[in-house]
Amino acid sequence: MNSKVKMVFTYILLGVATVISVFPLLWMVIAATNKSVDVIAGKLTIGSFIVENYKNLVAQQPLWSSFLNSCKYTVLVTVFALIVSALAGYAFEIYRDKAKERIYGVVLMSMMIPFVALMVPLFRMYSKLGLLNSAIGFMLPSLATPLLIMMFRTNAKAFPVDIIEAARIDGLSEFGIFFKMYIPSMKSIFAAAGVVTFMNAWNNYLWAKVIMSDNTTQTMPMLISNLISGYVTDYGMLMLAVLITTIPTAIVFFALQKNFVEGITGSVK
Amino acid sequence: MKKRFVSFMLAAVMSVGLLAGCGSGKEEADQGASKGDENTLTVWAWDQSFNIYAMKEAEKIYQKDHPEFKLNIVETPWDDMQTQLGTIVGAGNYSKLPDICLMQDFAYQKYVTTYPDLYLDLSDSQIDFSQFAEGKLAASTVDGKHYGVPFDNGTEVACYRTDILEQAGYTMDDLTDIDWNRFIEIGMDVYDKTGYSLLSVQAGSSDLIYQMLQSAGFGTWKEDGTPDIAGNENIKQCIEIYQEMREKNVLAVVNSWDEYVATFTSGKTAGVINGCWILASVQTAEDQSGKWAITNMPALPGVASATNYSNQGGSTWAITSNCKNTELAEDFLSATFAGSKELYDTILPSSGALATWLPASESEVYNEPQEFFGGQQIYSLITEFASKTPSVNLGVYYTEANMALATAVANVSGGSDIDAELKTAQDTVEFNMGK
Amino acid sequence: MRGKQNAVGWLFLTPAILLICAFSLYPMISALITSFRTGTGTSMSFAGLSNYIRCFQDDVFIQSLKNCVFYLIIQVPIMLVLALVLASALNNPKLKGRGFFRTAIFLPCATSLVAYAIIFRSLFATDGFVNLIAVKLGILDSAYNFLSHPTSARIVIIVALIWRWTGYNMVFYLAGLQNIEYSVYEAAKIDGASALQTFFKITVPLLKPTILMTAIMSTNGTLQLFDESMNLTHGGPGNASITMSHYIYNMSFKGVPNFGYTSAMSFIILIMVAILAFVQMKVGDERE
Repeated sequence: MNSKVKMVFTYILLGVATVISVFPLLWMVIAATNKSVDVIAGKLTIGSFIVENYKNLVAQQPLWSSFLNSCKYTVLVTVFALIVSALAGYAFEIYRDKAKERIYGVVLMSMMIPFVALMVPLFRMYSKLGLLNSAIGFMLPSLATPLLIMMFRTNAKAFPVDIIEAARIDGLSEFGIFFKMYIPSMKSIFAAAGVVTFMNAWNNYLWAKVIMSDNTTQTMPMLISNLISGYVTDYGMLMLAVLITTIPTAIVFFALQKNFVEGITGSVK
Repeated sequence: MKKRFVSFMLAAVMSVGLLAGCGSGKEEADQGASKGDENTLTVWAWDQSFNIYAMKEAEKIYQKDHPEFKLNIVETPWDDMQTQLGTIVGAGNYSKLPDICLMQDFAYQKYVTTYPDLYLDLSDSQIDFSQFAEGKLAASTVDGKHYGVPFDNGTEVACYRTDILEQAGYTMDDLTDIDWNRFIEIGMDVYDKTGYSLLSVQAGSSDLIYQMLQSAGFGTWKEDGTPDIAGNENIKQCIEIYQEMREKNVLAVVNSWDEYVATFTSGKTAGVINGCWILASVQTAEDQSGKWAITNMPALPGVASATNYSNQGGSTWAITSNCKNTELAEDFLSATFAGSKELYDTILPSSGALATWLPASESEVYNEPQEFFGGQQIYSLITEFASKTPSVNLGVYYTEANMALATAVANVSGGSDIDAELKTAQDTVEFNMGK
Repeated sequence: MRGKQNAVGWLFLTPAILLICAFSLYPMISALITSFRTGTGTSMSFAGLSNYIRCFQDDVFIQSLKNCVFYLIIQVPIMLVLALVLASALNNPKLKGRGFFRTAIFLPCATSLVAYAIIFRSLFATDGFVNLIAVKLGILDSAYNFLSHPTSARIVIIVALIWRWTGYNMVFYLAGLQNIEYSVYEAAKIDGASALQTFFKITVPLLKPTILMTAIMSTNGTLQLFDESMNLTHGGPGNASITMSHYIYNMSFKGVPNFGYTSAMSFIILIMVAILAFVQMKVGDERE
């Protein structure tokens, strides 16, 4: 088939998907510039209230300290979750044996229960260990996520066994293979895993709220929850806060998605 | 080899970094908790412009005589607080509770009955409970013991757009002291002449049904605490009124809270009936200033005990059993929310927080005419409504009954039979209680 | 040599295993024990299997289970196919503005739930955009209140889920596609394979492990679905669109809590997901 027609078709498909995907975000941008009553009345034109919305927001909520808290926790969680899960996912595939397969099954099972059911036992454990009120306490449960381990394992399947053998013969240690060969060749996987982890950590809310409950540790999702808890919700202000919350994930994605073009082929062979 | 060493070092440094980072995080948080010296009380509450604002003003007033006194107010939305309280009581470790927390009135019976050691019994404190409206006090009273200091008022108000009523040929007097039959007549007429529904409600909520029931002193429980839903003629009557209004376009049913608020702020409906805290939302529509007025709600027709007064929501301050300095907490609440006219005089004009502490209503501020409501003295009017509101026991299983009734209302709207739905609701609540 | 490799393997696994044991397995076992106990307050007593039996007598729980299965069957296949199509379209190196398209299509899952719930409700409101278009095009005679009818409320949830999670799954496919050398596509093109043939003969088979992974993830996510039911439809009308997790949350924290019963319901979710994941793995994993 003529590839020109194919390309046009592709652009149309992507264009439609883009419009549908971006429309709510545009709505958010517009809403952030409008007065509350206009937002819920469905006004679709840019207003002039963005400065006022911003002033109201910072007057009522510790916006930037919440933002910084969110950044801090999210970056820490993402970095450590990637290391822990990449090591585990790699080991489950490359060094697989019966015992590890069984453990892998258990690991997968640990994501299949709603977190609500684990909150009470986890809280009891935390109070015994003195982890309540600590930042590490709310980060620890998100460091080893079955989802990431599964993702790294799935993609480690594509890491050619003969290359590992060759490297071993060349005298490279197991650590060397992981750090110098596996990690560089899996850029696209790390990018995808990084985005997903960043997003989950950024939006992580329930557990943080339960064990922290202190104004100095407030994060962006908590801030948004505060904004909708009163008798009167200021929707213009809310949409501005929501917009500010969305931007970091979008930036991280845009920055990391470039790695989707450099595949395994370039670096291994 | 060198590279391996480097990567090892990197990993080591990062782990140390994690520990250090968390160490510092912990320190910060500990400081937060250790603000709890003898003179600092931690408070959980929601709503910056209402409850938290009132608490901050109370802090200022108390500080005049106690300069070393401080509050550490942690903003905690009610939904989150329920999750936190649930986790804390489930784990049986109360060390994370604050000194004082704000409680929704409807949840009081549940927490106090299920976890009797969660809140302090304040009956023997210096707080004078006789100075609170009786109906309001009932929510935080279990077995004659008082577990909280009443605060926010949920007295039912009916607000109407006078300009729209006028177009249809009605005045506020026509909507005062009426019953729901008359309300529907007027509502149909208004809809025909102006295209406005007189009332709106959020789908999937049984609040309006509860408001109607309470206006005649009806509840959903029998004397012995078992649910009284199946075959309950009063509930049936309320649901029938609801359905009739919906079918005749007197009542607009929308799907969510934001749409509900939009119905009156952006001028799609001509009236609102809800707890008086809804006035704050009504007033966000600045361009409608002067066009609103309030009166009492319609009464149930043909019912001997019917009144035009009811209640929706409201909240109360509780002192938890984890309070480090109960004497201070009690003294603070008794000197402010249960003893300071100054406090209520300050918060009423700026946030519309109506007292349930009776002496406060003698204040001049309550007689101030409100421009938004065409110069009506709404606060003294609402205080008068409050004193006439019948008191109803919401019950330990209020939430379960509320959800079951909401399901029944939704299904009846979808065409199901009322009697069968009420039977199902009864079964659901009984099932939930049979734990 | 094998022994040393094996030791390294265990070393790599240690951090993850320790963390999962402490923060998932331990509370899970604790919850499992709770699921055999009953009581409302702090005092609980042993109850055997009664909590599990209770689940199947609970009409609302059964309704929520049916809803989740409905979402699973309809939504997951549509979403995964859509994600796959978009990912392979975006994998073409000749395409201009790939970064923009990728980011745009990913954005829905980064959009805050609060905003997205408001937008979807207003889109599907009686006087909303969808009704406006449908009436103009003559698909509907008059405006339809989607969220107040059981089936249409469920469909709104499915539409919302597809909107929100397609881009998310696309990311996994995009990452997985990098394991396929582009030269394979070039070769197929030279051999005269059509776009459809390439898609089914090359893309799908080579992405099989990733497709399996996303299928397991989506199954898990749908059976544990909470956000949409809680924020978009509030489970309504009635309980027509409520999910299991939403019901468990209501029972745990809104009503008088009975953690024994809610733990039992949670384990029913676990058993369902585990069985489905096992079946999917057997069907999808060709290695053994």
